Amino acid sequence: MIEELLINGICAFIGSSAFGILFNIPKRYYVGCGITGAAGWCIYLVLDKYIGVSTSISSFFGTLVVVLIARMLTVRMKCPITIFLVPGVIPMVPGAILYHTIYYLVVNELGMAATKGLEAVKVSFGIVLGIAIILSIPRDVFQKGYWKQWKYHRKKKDKTKSNKIII
Amino acid sequence: MRIQQVIEDKEQYLDFLKFNEPGDEEFENKLDTFDLFLLTDDGVIKTACAVCVCRNKKCEIKRIVTIEEARKQGYGKYMVDYICEHYSDRCNELYVGFGNCGKILGFFEKCGFINSHILAGYFLKKYKEPVYDNGIQLTDMVYLKRRLESDIDIKKVVDVALEAGRILLKNGGEIFRVEETMTHICNRFHIDEVDIFTLSHAIFVTAKSGEEEVYTKVKNVPLSGTHLGIVAEVNALSRAISSGRVSLEEAQRRLKEIDKMEPMRPIAQILGAGASSGCLGYLLGASAKESVIAFFIGCILFCWILFAKKCHVTKIVSNIVGGAIITGLALTAREISGIMSLQLNGMIVGALMPLVPGMAFVNSIREIADSDFLSGTVRMIDTLLVFVYIAIGVGLTLSIYHTLGGIVS
Repeated sequence: MIEELLINGICAFIGSSAFGILFNIPKRYYVGCGITGAAGWCIYLVLDKYIGVSTSISSFFGTLVVVLIARMLTVRMKCPITIFLVPGVIPMVPGAILYHTIYYLVVNELGMAATKGLEAVKVSFGIVLGIAIILSIPRDVFQKGYWKQWKYHRKKKDKTKSNKIII
Repeated sequence: MRIQQVIEDKEQYLDFLKFNEPGDEEFENKLDTFDLFLLTDDGVIKTACAVCVCRNKKCEIKRIVTIEEARKQGYGKYMVDYICEHYSDRCNELYVGFGNCGKILGFFEKCGFINSHILAGYFLKKYKEPVYDNGIQLTDMVYLKRRLESDIDIKKVVDVALEAGRILLKNGGEIFRVEETMTHICNRFHIDEVDIFTLSHAIFVTAKSGEEEVYTKVKNVPLSGTHLGIVAEVNALSRAISSGRVSLEEAQRRLKEIDKMEPMRPIAQILGAGASSGCLGYLLGASAKESVIAFFIGCILFCWILFAKKCHVTKIVSNIVGGAIITGLALTAREISGIMSLQLNGMIVGALMPLVPGMAFVNSIREIADSDFLSGTVRMIDTLLVFVYIAIGVGLTLSIYHTLGGIVS
């Protein structure tokens, strides 16, 4: 299991950073793209294959992890979140499922097409929810000093006035 | 060197601002209503300035003091210029009043002030004892003024903002990023009333500044390729602009440079497409052998995509042919190798990954999550249609193969 996870993680890493090239992402972000992709896919795989949750729910949690890491990296590296988000989500995007749907439609197997189509919709909703939930967290939470500052405030609450000069 | 505005505990700078003259008391009482600015260099306060905002869009410098050792080094002028810029969005004129004494007059004239008016006999009436400065008795209060024109043209600002928005939208920026960037740029140059309406392929912007006329512009942005490097660059530029480090002209120049940024070298893109085909194909259930074949199919496929882009082949044709190429190559690989255990599915699914419009898919999802259904739907349809085209290509090739195969056998 660990071996398989490792191989999958490496593949997801390379695949996601390769997608970075296709989107013309600057070189300094490749590693970040790879990490987001690999982490998301590993979570997805563990849930989907080893725990046996449905595909849509696994892709929901996978996306959750992808967006979380993407936001942290975004704040640290000061760049648009799309840079990490898109390559990170790519392995989970229901590209293959959608392709199968349309393929069955073309070869006139409507029953299979409907099953696959519904699955694609479900997975899409999983991804939508994952993205929407993390993106609704306020930006400050991901700032470097946020948690420290909070602690600091609690400690200093009763003490003297804070800094006088405000920019 | 930096300038800060003091909000709290202004009294602690009182000693710094005092002249030890009559009038200090009145100043002291009113200090809380004034805006106080400090200029520090190497952590030492060099210059302090108190400004009073009056009615009718006017403001007045009440005191400006530079420490003895730091005079004649331009700190005062820097401070005055900063004050001018700081208030240029709220006020039209900046006044300064002082006794009839030549030395200060020279300083303010150098800062671009011109004569406004004189209150004759002000000092005589206000103070019972005569007031002296450098041995001259002060009688009149001289007022100078400087017009605070934000010399920035609203049209120029909106044009720069719109150009930034266009570049973002064209290269795969999200709707909210486009709007946020444009608003930031406009606000930085003191245009506060901006309305922006962005669709997936058009930007409408209306700006209004003060009593001046309203300026509206519409820009059509055709759907095109993704270049996230450009998005990142514009984002960095927008940060620099809103922090005030970049002037309008420089922003214009840098936007032009960014717009000309080249995509990655074709060979790198082809290899990237191959790598993503192989790796993602493996993730989606292809065997190791199939993944290796998917790598090569992905490379060849992307050569076609690049060629199609260069010759402006329509999306329909390029995707259908792309699907056909994938299937054709997968079938050939199976036939040539003679290994019937090779699954067509694995190879095809892997190889079509570079065609998957991931960017449009993720953006459409985010826009729908943002309740921007119009742009979200448009991009979602774009995504779905790409799959339809690919599947048509694959389906056609497969059915042709089966028919031919039927004939052969």
